[in-house]
Amino acid sequence: MTETIRPPSAPVELREAAAGVPGGAGRRARRLWGGALLVVVLASVAATGWTQGPLLRPEGLGLVGDFLAAAVAPSTDAAFLEILAAAAVTTVAYAALGTVLSLVLGLVGGVLSSEVWWLEGRHGAARRRGAVGWATVRGLLVLPRAIHEVIWGLVLLSILGLTPLVAVLAIGIPFGAVTAKVFAELLDETARRPFRAALAAGSPRTTALLYALMPAAWSDLLSYGFYRFECAIRSAAILGLIGAGGLGFQLALSLQTLNYREVWSVLYALILLSAATDLWSSAVRRRRAAGGRPGDRVIGGSLVAGAVLVVGSLWWVQLDLSVLTAADTWRQVLLIVEDAWPPGLGTTTVAELVQAALITVAMSVVAIVIAFAGASALAFPGSAAGARTPGRWLVVIVTRAVLVVLRALPPPVWALLFLFVMAPGLLPGALALGVYTLGVLGRLMTESVENLDRRPREAMEAQGVARPVVFCYAVVPAAAPRFVAFGLYRWEVTIRETVVVGVVGAGGLGLLLNEQLAAFAYAAALTTLAAIVVLTALVDVTSAGLRRSLR
Amino acid sequence: MRRALFAIVLALVSVLVAACGGGAAEQPRELVISAIPDQDPQKLQRLYGALSERLTRTLGVPVRYVPLTDYAASVTSYRRGDLDMVFFGGLTGVQARQQVPGSVPLAQRDVDERFRSVFIATTASGLAPATDVAGLREVGGRSLTFGSESSTSGRLMPQYFLDQAGVGPNSFRGPSGFSGSHDATIALVTSGAYEVGALNATVWDQRVAGGGVDTTKVREIFRTPTYHDYHWLARPDIDEQLGAGTTDRIRGALLALDPADPADKNILDLFGAGSFIPTQPANYDQVEQVGRSLGLVQ
Repeated sequence: MTETIRPPSAPVELREAAAGVPGGAGRRARRLWGGALLVVVLASVAATGWTQGPLLRPEGLGLVGDFLAAAVAPSTDAAFLEILAAAAVTTVAYAALGTVLSLVLGLVGGVLSSEVWWLEGRHGAARRRGAVGWATVRGLLVLPRAIHEVIWGLVLLSILGLTPLVAVLAIGIPFGAVTAKVFAELLDETARRPFRAALAAGSPRTTALLYALMPAAWSDLLSYGFYRFECAIRSAAILGLIGAGGLGFQLALSLQTLNYREVWSVLYALILLSAATDLWSSAVRRRRAAGGRPGDRVIGGSLVAGAVLVVGSLWWVQLDLSVLTAADTWRQVLLIVEDAWPPGLGTTTVAELVQAALITVAMSVVAIVIAFAGASALAFPGSAAGARTPGRWLVVIVTRAVLVVLRALPPPVWALLFLFVMAPGLLPGALALGVYTLGVLGRLMTESVENLDRRPREAMEAQGVARPVVFCYAVVPAAAPRFVAFGLYRWEVTIRETVVVGVVGAGGLGLLLNEQLAAFAYAAALTTLAAIVVLTALVDVTSAGLRRSLR
Repeated sequence: MRRALFAIVLALVSVLVAACGGGAAEQPRELVISAIPDQDPQKLQRLYGALSERLTRTLGVPVRYVPLTDYAASVTSYRRGDLDMVFFGGLTGVQARQQVPGSVPLAQRDVDERFRSVFIATTASGLAPATDVAGLREVGGRSLTFGSESSTSGRLMPQYFLDQAGVGPNSFRGPSGFSGSHDATIALVTSGAYEVGALNATVWDQRVAGGGVDTTKVREIFRTPTYHDYHWLARPDIDEQLGAGTTDRIRGALLALDPADPADKNILDLFGAGSFIPTQPANYDQVEQVGRSLGLVQ
């Protein structure tokens, strides 16, 4: 990646997308990738078996109706709401601390996995060594990214025991690895001339980095932190399922007996938290896009509020870091390693493992296709850019509300609902992950539409070109590469998410892993995790290739 | 602005340091108990509140209840010694005993020594009630969902009886589902997502009696023979930690819960028990054997 020039105010997730801006690369490579992608998508759709038997089962609609009916009558039992309020604070606290940790890890990991850190200004043998270092760190970062927060939670639970630290680390570690990837790309895209000059002047790499590269990337990282915070709230909710407390724990309890009225109370709490962080982060983003001077009240106030939130969270969960250095902790690590090493197959055969991996890929592909199509369609009505009439604002608000609800309902809840009206298998699982991812992707895409350069569009409109034509020629081409980049980024996440929709009876690596964990067959579970890591790495390589071919 | 930020960072660091230091203080020793919720989790909080209070009074040791919802999480915490005593299911009890050798099964509910599972099916499936275990072979070729992966009554024993009838794990239409809970199993079979489901007979009876089951859509097709299920399991080091004879006193306290006493009756009712009765490791040999043959016990 060379010095791509980007407006300094572009939100940082957009930089994930930035690498996808088309350049003059070979048409042949593009055709090849396009063809391969089409084959994978078609094969995945075929694997759902949607042609065998009816798609919908109307008998189950009554049960979905029961669930929806409870939405207007959530439990308002005072004692329950009291528990819920405390749980919500716990969830926010886990999310805040997890986010801070992920930002710290992302900062360090981002530098250590950037090309500029390893390669810039180096030649010959030093450059080759640098390349090895770069590839190693980048490869290592796939590992924490590929493993779902819930699995992190279970592993950490057996090492650290019942402490709030488990939830914080389970969010912070995988999110840190994702942040590192984004931050590395950010650093690589930052103009390198000052860094090069500093190196040439003889300053050490660390100093050059701190003074010549970081200042430009620093504020983007903070902005990215807000986005991760919203993700962390959803994650903390899922983590509750393994007993970390918070809203997720209440959701698990209420869901177990299908007490829909209580389920809805929890969901409303999640929706509110999601919407609030969404509003907060877009306010900060908008200020930054508008120039974001250092003295800006919204940005400054947000920083203060964030710091207060972190301190408050530390106090609320009573984080005890002493377990990290306790002798017993290392004994537990050894115990786990002893149990899991060497990785084995258990009762599974290699053929079964491969089949499960294929099912997982198929499920993730169908899910991301659904999410991509839906999110692309909703991104334009959801964008507030140029919204002036009350009618247009209504559309914006409704679209955003839909997106918030889609992503606030955890995938296992979606899976159960789809299973009520569909035959068990890949399709309900893919739909559950698909609509959830649609919510997340829709938010990212809406923002990228809002941040599009408005000049080409305004120029065409000024010349009296019809609006649909303007849309096709000025808006879509500008938005498409970013959309594709976002879609590829979430595809990787979807692979990992397939772990939590075992209820749909589709098989796949997630089901296999749950089964192995239930049997405490750690050696076999390690093999399955390795398979998930390999899939994630493959997706990583594929997306990078796809994006390169689009450039 | 900058100064305010600096002050906040400073405060943050000092809280962190305080948090690290605070952890070093020795906690007073307490008895930590937990349970794998399998029915009516809303009652859990009340249930364990009442029980902890009662045990605290009898034992003179503070008793704390830790809520958990995940089977693997509670077995793991028990192994680590974070939990001293847990009300495990049959299978998880065996798994926990294997990971902590020398664990003592303290007591079981009267209902646990003759526990049963039921198989339910959609009326549309046309499956007729089976008269004996062999009759379960009709389930072969149908779609089926279990409850949670680690559930004794929602998965292990149903799978065992299916096996007895010659229906192996791969003889269903599609992979078997894991609904996650007994109530979810009822809902998924009612919806027709799966033709057959297996669950805890007690939960089924309660839901049918409470009118929560649409009997025009789903019905019971088989009730399994009895087996041993839930029991209290205690770590072998309780006496060492809390004084000699503590384990026996806990057992005594559980067995002494008297249905004639209103306060005790309240606790027993919340547990869905008439009384607690003694138990022994041999009661779970069958569960262990089945678990081993299904690969759930290593």
